[in-house]
Amino acid sequence: MASESNAVGIQELIGIVGKDRVSTDRELLLKYGRGGGLVPDGEPVCVVYPRDSEDIQRIVKLANAVGLNLVPRSSSIPGALGGAVPSGEGVIVDLSEMREIIRLDRRNKVALIEPGVTFGQLQAAAAAEGLKVLMPLIPGASGSVLASYLEREPITIPKYHWDMTDPLLCIEVIFGTGDMFRTGGAAGPGTLEEQWASGAAQKNPMGPAHTDFAKLVQGGQGTMGIVTWASVKLELLPRARRLFFIQAEDLGELQGFIYKALRLRLGDEFLVLNNFSLASILRENRERIGAMTRKQSTWTLVFCVAGYEYFPQERIAFQENDIREITRAFGLEMKEEIPGASAETMMRLLDNTAGGTHWKSRYSGGCRDIFFLTTLDRVAAFIEVMNKSLVTADYPMEEMGIYIQPIQHGRACHLEFNLPYDPDDINETEKVNNLLLRASEELLEAGAFFSRPYGPWARMAYARCPDSVEALKKVKGIVDPGGVMNRGKLCFTEEVRT
Amino acid sequence: MMTDDVYREMESVVGEENISREPAILDSYAFQPFHRAEPGSWIHRPAAVVLPGSTGEVQQIVKICHRNKVSYKAHSTGWGAHSGPGKEGVIQIDLRRMDRILEIDEENMYVVVEPYAICAQVQAELMKRGLNLHIIGAGSSTSPLAACTSHMGMGFTGVSMGYSGRSVLGVEWVLPDGELLRLGSLGSGSGWFCGDGPGPSLRGIMRGWAGYDGGLGVFTGVAIKTFHWPGPREPEVEGLLFDTKTEVPDNFKVFLCYFPDYERWADAYYRIGEAEIAYIMSKNPIGAMIWAFTPHLMRKITDMPAIKTALKAAQHGCHVMIAANSPGDLDYQVKTLKRIIEETEGVLIDVKPPFESMLWWSGVRVSAVQAIFRPGGTFFVGLGGDEAVDNTMLQAKFGEKIKQDFIDRGLIYDDLADVMWGGLYEQGLFNHQEEIMIFNARDPRQAKAPEEFAKACARTAVEEHLGGIGFALFGGEKMHDLFSPVTSDYYKWEKKIKETWDPDDLSNQTFR
Amino acid sequence: MTLDDYRLDMMGCSRCSMCKWVPLNQVKSWRYARSCPSISKYNFHAYSGSGKMNVALSLLDGRIELDETVADIAYKCTLCGACDVSCKVYRDDIELCEVIEELRELCVTEGLLIPEHMIMIDSMKKEDNVFGEPKSERGNWAEGLGLKDVNSESADVLFHAGCRFSYDEDLRGKVRGSVRLLLDAGADIGIAGKEESCCGGRAYEVGYRGEMDNYADDVVARVKASGATVLVTPCSDCYSTFKYFYPRAGHELGVEVLHITEYIDRLVKDRRIALSHDVPLHVTYHDPCHLGRRGEPYLGKWEGDKLLRPLSRKRAGRNGIFDQPRDILKAIPGLKLSEMERVREYSWCCGAGGGVLEAHPDLALWSATERIREAGATGAEAIVTACPWCERSFIDAISEMGEEMAVYDLTELVTMSAGIGGE
Ligand SMILES: Cc1cc2nc3c(=O)[nH]c(=O)nc-3n(C[C@H](O)[C@H](O)[C@H](O)COP(=O)(O)OP(=O)(O)OC[C@H]3O[C@@H](n4cnc5c(N)ncnc54)[C@H](O)[C@@H]3O)c2cc1C
Repeated sequence: MASESNAVGIQELIGIVGKDRVSTDRELLLKYGRGGGLVPDGEPVCVVYPRDSEDIQRIVKLANAVGLNLVPRSSSIPGALGGAVPSGEGVIVDLSEMREIIRLDRRNKVALIEPGVTFGQLQAAAAAEGLKVLMPLIPGASGSVLASYLEREPITIPKYHWDMTDPLLCIEVIFGTGDMFRTGGAAGPGTLEEQWASGAAQKNPMGPAHTDFAKLVQGGQGTMGIVTWASVKLELLPRARRLFFIQAEDLGELQGFIYKALRLRLGDEFLVLNNFSLASILRENRERIGAMTRKQSTWTLVFCVAGYEYFPQERIAFQENDIREITRAFGLEMKEEIPGASAETMMRLLDNTAGGTHWKSRYSGGCRDIFFLTTLDRVAAFIEVMNKSLVTADYPMEEMGIYIQPIQHGRACHLEFNLPYDPDDINETEKVNNLLLRASEELLEAGAFFSRPYGPWARMAYARCPDSVEALKKVKGIVDPGGVMNRGKLCFTEEVRT
Repeated sequence: MMTDDVYREMESVVGEENISREPAILDSYAFQPFHRAEPGSWIHRPAAVVLPGSTGEVQQIVKICHRNKVSYKAHSTGWGAHSGPGKEGVIQIDLRRMDRILEIDEENMYVVVEPYAICAQVQAELMKRGLNLHIIGAGSSTSPLAACTSHMGMGFTGVSMGYSGRSVLGVEWVLPDGELLRLGSLGSGSGWFCGDGPGPSLRGIMRGWAGYDGGLGVFTGVAIKTFHWPGPREPEVEGLLFDTKTEVPDNFKVFLCYFPDYERWADAYYRIGEAEIAYIMSKNPIGAMIWAFTPHLMRKITDMPAIKTALKAAQHGCHVMIAANSPGDLDYQVKTLKRIIEETEGVLIDVKPPFESMLWWSGVRVSAVQAIFRPGGTFFVGLGGDEAVDNTMLQAKFGEKIKQDFIDRGLIYDDLADVMWGGLYEQGLFNHQEEIMIFNARDPRQAKAPEEFAKACARTAVEEHLGGIGFALFGGEKMHDLFSPVTSDYYKWEKKIKETWDPDDLSNQTFR
Repeated sequence: MTLDDYRLDMMGCSRCSMCKWVPLNQVKSWRYARSCPSISKYNFHAYSGSGKMNVALSLLDGRIELDETVADIAYKCTLCGACDVSCKVYRDDIELCEVIEELRELCVTEGLLIPEHMIMIDSMKKEDNVFGEPKSERGNWAEGLGLKDVNSESADVLFHAGCRFSYDEDLRGKVRGSVRLLLDAGADIGIAGKEESCCGGRAYEVGYRGEMDNYADDVVARVKASGATVLVTPCSDCYSTFKYFYPRAGHELGVEVLHITEYIDRLVKDRRIALSHDVPLHVTYHDPCHLGRRGEPYLGKWEGDKLLRPLSRKRAGRNGIFDQPRDILKAIPGLKLSEMERVREYSWCCGAGGGVLEAHPDLALWSATERIREAGATGAEAIVTACPWCERSFIDAISEMGEEMAVYDLTELVTMSAGIGGE
């Protein structure tokens, strides 16, 4: 966008949303444009804060008319992943002010939310109705629920993760064409109000008809369109719950147990952390994290058992009993207390959003993450690959966090390596960035599936699946033929025009 | 166009024993009386039928078609008019030679199948490893691959195992131009365990609530989620259906539940879902069941208003099978179910032998529904948009009225106007209810009923906002014209998808 | 009846493909889930039970001509009835096998003849047997057994050996043994010797119905003349002809018809045969189609809408002879019986029936091979059956496969256990 048309574009944007909803504040733009070393810094030309779908639709149409690059984002604070950093110039469409919980439905356990609704906000509203929000591991309080779900961040309760779209159900999206589209049950017939009146609750996540545009928008890093609201799955707030730890020195000792328990769908929250990650969650600064790391076994499996509306204690009792039997078969021990944490402490942590500095950044001020999907039986092999990369990069092994999150009832898992670094130290930053790039290549080579390819991963991941790239470009050609949506992301490195 | 040269080219791919254009052989593919609204048994006769034996052969066949602008249509078992040519000149690709189970990953709980490994086969092999899969209501003679990639996906175990369309992991897909697309982790060389990404999930193009029914290339392999099977690894079962005899394992229970009205029935559904109990949960339509199990008795009952009224009182109900992994689990599930039934003023029947055997095994194997063909020879379905329980109950109410009218006019069998078949999915995520009507397609008067029934159901679904297009999806262009304008213009977008991947409309979708 | 009488049956097919599989309740593995040799080998839908009905309907509707392809479809089928059984799990209004039989009859009347079948029919006409062997040698198998000749004296039991046992030298020991067994049990047995004629069942199956009628008249007359009260046959093909095709074609034998396994079962249960010697064999039992599902008696004609037909008139294969052979085997000390996956009315065919052995020996061999594999999978060292046609098929398949498995007629094991020495 040449600066002349920028100026035109900004004027038109002001025409759509009003003067106070468009910002060209340099400092703010710099913040939005920060690439953090892994992706080049972007050049936001302005930030626009739409009020509703109609605004968004007009903005997208304008973008097509004058050739803007729209970069939608739901949380106002820049994420670490670079998905919402414009590649070159771009108009940031900040949706954080669209934060209405349009509907919260206890009977159907569903909420209809705007993109700016945060975990903290939704959690409070849901809890008031006896419901629970399905969360990733300790998200930021101001993190957008919708953005997290749209990016397929893993949730901590694998038994509620049926399909990769979960907990996202239906969406309203303004495609890159400017067309409004509703997916799943929300598609119609009927307006939302009419559907509600006939007992519908936007709960069918599939379709409409033969296609699933929600699946195409999800994971798209804003390249397909802008989601204006979504229905999301909520679950019952347990009436009673217990949390247990199982610790082991070797991941192999836990593997059989995890497979067995998840196969029987035992447990609610269910995740594995290495000592460093656990310590980072439990303690707030470098020294204490270091000390706590040394006190822990290498691996800690954290899981809850819960009871709901019917005989909650009995449900807990039988599940606990069944799980205990499995632990015995695998020579493991369930504990309610580990060094530095009781079950209650851990439960509180898992139930809440992160306050203050994110746990990953507490050790060194910053953190680089490498995450991908694999199956549990392959995790140990990937850790080995990662360890080798650490040695080569001369990065201290004991300072790497590892988080294993089973998904889809345990059929696969999200494997995440956290590499703390000091963002103010240029050398360290460069070192960790290089490590990240190299290790990612090696992990990919070993079969890691980078299903959410942010920043530099996009090039690596898409190089492995040219057939998917071609198909994705076709999708893009349908929903964003003008190429106005978050240019240059994913595999859309050249402008796609039909 | 299909020419001798094209034929010979295909023949060189599959061998002469695997291709034919003999009229007799072709007509056996043109006979498709099921799943169609218009009367009659015949669809378009294919121009040839090909039996590829591998993905490579499928690709070559499709490429030949693509090069020569010949339409083609794949099916797995091919049960219904949607599986055959929707116009003249179409090559039928019958995938029955691709029948293998490629992999069973016990720990990561998935199975990889080719198109013609049928559910019963896959289930038998999975059970030997303590696993099971969701089987569509059509029964275990169907292709799990077709259900996952191409058609629909409702079934009895929806409550515990979900809907076929949401059970899909890696997919191997021959696109309309013959190129191969492998979805998810498979495409990245990481194995079959995930079907989504990198980035957006192309499963969204592959299918939605329903699939393209052969209208978007050919699927040659799919990894499907499997689930723990707490029953015997090699069940010993005697009998073929109604005479089933077997030892129902102690950790299973079969119940019939009945509720006083729609409202309390719905309440019970919500609560069962929330309690996270039940292995199988299915609305058991009383009239259709009696028709299917004892057609001669039902024929008599239809003349007995008092008995009919009494039976109809049991129309708000379902069949619940509990499968437990431990004694504690069993106690908890049974106790919870009983409490729910109490709260909703329902009646709970603990099914005992010998009926228990049949309900248990036919429920697990999905081998009884097909008896719906017994009373009149066939059936047809309307409504069926999956949504929140309350919405589907409303569908049932309207369905009842629509059907009663057809019964009164003698156009269909009198099944007490109670044949909403359905059940919960994913522990209550949504409910499915479809309005089934039984008729005799060989009776000229009844043969025309489906068309009118389909229209009546579709109109009501639109006017009353009943959970989406449902079975009207198989009504072709007319139905799209009715639904699309009030359903996010989906058809406009689907046309774009079709134009993008298959600009010459070669991959033939029967009902478009 | 003509094909047209089955129009509603054919129109009623929903194309569910059950006819291709053993009844769903009984699918026990990936490997042995199929039921129909024809579709399993030829793959085009037309070769399935459903497909044959579709083709027949297409003919009736004038959509296709009766040509060699139709004949190929109609005759590459052992008429084993597996499709019929699976279909009838769900349907009361379709007589699948009857449609195939009508289709074959149409082929014959329209002159679409299979050369091998013409030769067979010719042989039957000339020599009263399906092989074209001299009629004069038909009774040779019984030489020296001292059996009554029912042509000149009366006997309680008329023993009908059938063409295969009469002429197949390899099987001679088996049939002789079975007669000695009955004699030993004190049965009053007579045979018709060289006057015994073919039952005609094979002719009926391949569409030459008139031929069977001729034989039926002959057999009926001889049975009457013999004064026998029971007709016993060791041949399952003959058995099903007597129990099913004859009455269906209006021929009443007027005596009790028993397969030899039924007869032996009675003798064992009446303690007239003592199974006292150990037979230390691990065997599996193959249900001959014609003794099992196709051996089910005729239940009378039903005119009109089959939806209204009482279930007591529905012939679904379950009332064939299944328990008696198993009871006998279980009564033999030292013998271990392991069942195959496909048994009883959903048993897999040996491949010999329906004119296939004559016209399409490759299909017959393939089908038998498949069965031998299944038998082998049980761990058994021998396959036992109760039909000379199955035995012939299995012996040939085993030799072709280079396998070791032994093939027994059920009566042989009974002979061993009863301590009746070989000849
Ligand atoms: C009694 C009865 C009950 C039923 N209940 C249910 C139910 O509960 N849930 C449900 O989902 N359906 C149900 N159905 C519909 C059923 O799914 C279809 O009839 C289906 O066709 C069954 O056969 P199949 O699964 O082998 O698929 P096929 O008939 O082989 O195929 C189905 C569709 O997918 C396409 N297709 C199949 N394989 C491929 C492939 N490899 N590549 C590309 N396209 C392909 C075909 O062209 C066809 O359009 C029911 C049907 C009956 C008769």
